[in-house]
Amino acid sequence: MNIDRTIAPQTEEILSFNLVEANSSKLENGINLHSIQAGNEAVLKVDFIFNAGSLHQTKKGQASLTNRMIGEGTSKYSAQQLADALDFYGAYISTRSATDESSVTLYCLSKHLKSCLTYIYEMFTDANFPEDDLKILTQNSVQKLAVNEQKNSFLVRKHFYASIFGEENPYGSSINKEDYQNINREDLVEFYQTNYINKLEHILISGQADGTALKEIEVFCEKFNNTISSKTIQFPSFNPVTEKKIFHNKPSSSQSAIRIGRNIFNRNHQDFRKFQLLNLILGGYFGSRLMKNIREDKGLTYGIYSSIESYKNGGSWYIETEMNNELREKGLIEIYKELKTLREALIDKEELQTAKNYLLGSFLRSIDSPFSLADRYKILLDYNLSYSYYYEFIEIVKETTAEELRNLAHIYLQEKDLYEVIVGC
Amino acid sequence: MYFCFGFIYTQHTLIHYNTFNLENGLTVIHHLDESTQLCVINTLYNVGSKHENPNKTGFAHLFEHLMFGGSVNIEEFDEELQNAGGESNAFTSNDITNYYLTLPSNNIETGFWLESDRMLSLDFSQESLDVQKSVVIEEFKERYLNQPYGDVWLKILPLAYKVHPYSWPTIGKEISHIENATLNDVKSFFKSFYCPNNAVLVVAGNISLEKCKMLCEKWFAPIPKQQINKPQYQKEPQQTEPRKETVFADVPQDMIVMAYHIPARTDKGYYIADLISDILGAGKSARLYNALVKKNPIFSELDAYLSGDIDEGLLLVEGKLLPNVSLDDAEQAITVELNKLKNTDVEELELQKVKNKSETNILFNDVGSLNKAMKLAYAFILGDIELVNNEAELYLSVSQNDIKSLAKEIFDENNCSTLYYRKK
Repeated sequence: MNIDRTIAPQTEEILSFNLVEANSSKLENGINLHSIQAGNEAVLKVDFIFNAGSLHQTKKGQASLTNRMIGEGTSKYSAQQLADALDFYGAYISTRSATDESSVTLYCLSKHLKSCLTYIYEMFTDANFPEDDLKILTQNSVQKLAVNEQKNSFLVRKHFYASIFGEENPYGSSINKEDYQNINREDLVEFYQTNYINKLEHILISGQADGTALKEIEVFCEKFNNTISSKTIQFPSFNPVTEKKIFHNKPSSSQSAIRIGRNIFNRNHQDFRKFQLLNLILGGYFGSRLMKNIREDKGLTYGIYSSIESYKNGGSWYIETEMNNELREKGLIEIYKELKTLREALIDKEELQTAKNYLLGSFLRSIDSPFSLADRYKILLDYNLSYSYYYEFIEIVKETTAEELRNLAHIYLQEKDLYEVIVGC
Repeated sequence: MYFCFGFIYTQHTLIHYNTFNLENGLTVIHHLDESTQLCVINTLYNVGSKHENPNKTGFAHLFEHLMFGGSVNIEEFDEELQNAGGESNAFTSNDITNYYLTLPSNNIETGFWLESDRMLSLDFSQESLDVQKSVVIEEFKERYLNQPYGDVWLKILPLAYKVHPYSWPTIGKEISHIENATLNDVKSFFKSFYCPNNAVLVVAGNISLEKCKMLCEKWFAPIPKQQINKPQYQKEPQQTEPRKETVFADVPQDMIVMAYHIPARTDKGYYIADLISDILGAGKSARLYNALVKKNPIFSELDAYLSGDIDEGLLLVEGKLLPNVSLDDAEQAITVELNKLKNTDVEELELQKVKNKSETNILFNDVGSLNKAMKLAYAFILGDIELVNNEAELYLSVSQNDIKSLAKEIFDENNCSTLYYRKK
């Protein structure tokens, strides 16, 4: 067969997608149960979500340490007994504490869900935060922090958020050694009693979330006497630093870590999705301008990306990279040049079309597994959105024009509004 | 598969697949999943850093970067792929180089077009080579040099391997090897290893077998077969003495790494070693964590894991010491724990626990077409595609006695390389 390899096969635009939606119900005791049944494997991921992020703490470290200690012993079981039991069922538990909320996630085979829930219930109602285990945890966290503080990428992230939000703001603050040393058992017990006991807010189950699994989850839920008062905490205002160019000298580094960016709107803003497309073109994928120019054309770095992050009460946007100290100035000039081009010139038709096609393709990838479907759904939950947010996505991306993107760049990507944080030498 | 201890008999969903060969020696594995809107092409070349010349290391990985720099008929690989809504990446290990791309299934032909063209030939240019050399050098610095403990792998491998090419990491022995790579080296590497008869192609997702066959015939069948010149390398001889090395670096705490030689990936002993590493190091119920992080705190972090190679690999125990603990005491404490496995039978329940963990790992790793595709390709390289369906049973068949006798065999100081990573 003779084929002309210089001619690309015909491609089709993405016009529609199938998305498995979540089923939601509010139980009598106020727990919101959400389920997504998808995938062929007999596995489950269950997220238990509490309104217990660092925003709700009165002392630094309180929220994250409470969250991490939740499996470290109850009055019935020691930390090791809990770990033994869950490991015996082949289950994994991960904990996560962010500013807006905290969660505990269970990964297990469907057949072991019921057994695992017995131990999870103990953790959520009767954790006792043993003094010795806490001491070990804080000591090891201090050690880990010391290792992280040798990483330029860790430091630049920390300084960046502190700069754009202010060190005292929950989105800008970070835990230091003294915070770990100042925290005691009573702080955790108090935080646990206020924010965890009978405060389970959402359960999101994905995978083989069939009738059996749901029944088991419902039985589990019924045991809670929830008293969720929708407490609203006034989110503290942002207090960005005034000096926008920040350099931290770290002698003997062979590379500099760089973050350039700003604080920005969150997902609820009308410009969010068009800005996502703009960000993609600048630095959001392998074919982006920054990647092509700074990595693929000039070889100055292993990677350069730009990202937009959305939180419940704000957002951030930034470019990040690590590059050779000697070539840093050259790289910075190129970064600012790319930003200027975005503000001033229209993106050509082909480049825009490629970015749109890629964005829609990556959306298809993001709804392909039960767990990623759960992540998509969680976004809707966090920002009070409905599934139409996704269904209208194709249309919004398709209709976005080069003029609109230039306009967005003009509004949001002015050099004078950007912070430049560098850790290196 | 079934479990004792009251667990119900579970028959897992098998991964179904078809295989066929093209005349040029390319093996194709097809897996249909009608529940997805996507399709994956995973191309595994049977070449890794172990096939490199000891004086030109890091080459397989550098070459992986060049595979994205345009092929003989297609200037921009990524742009064409992205334009069809696709995404791709690759990784290189000691044993293999694996490329994968995902596309909406109605655009999958673009993937066949792109992947076959770069198997046919690359657009070799000095400029593209120079750029990727600097990118890889920056990667070397970012991941191995400019990180606390980043060079551990660079230190422990040459200690553990004296003859076998696992003695250098995939990134290469040193930056100069990458700097010195020439266009001729690149061309001859391509010629030796990048051909249909040294590859396996997995097509997985929403695509029928007929369409898959048709597209393989159209795009891959015309690529000529090549003579493969695989360099012979020697098996690592049995280690006969303890090996120790001390490194001083600007790090906040001391670290110890102990590396023991274990059986090859295709040996039953590999599964035993994997369970041993889980008994020691997986999760909060593991022995090392409970004994030496929790009960008698000597370490702030302590793990045990396998290097995961196809030839005889390593079981590594790696721990960061608490302040005021000496490396001697730390080593002693680890040895005491390892010796327990040699002298006392592991409890049946504990063995069952790590088997259950491996069952969970296997099932979670099956989620999604891309995972399945990679698994199929790797199983083929290991010599038996059915491993994708029967590995769980291999774990289940491990006995208490297997654990004890392998522990006796491997946890011997004459089989151990120890790296003392001291803070300056």
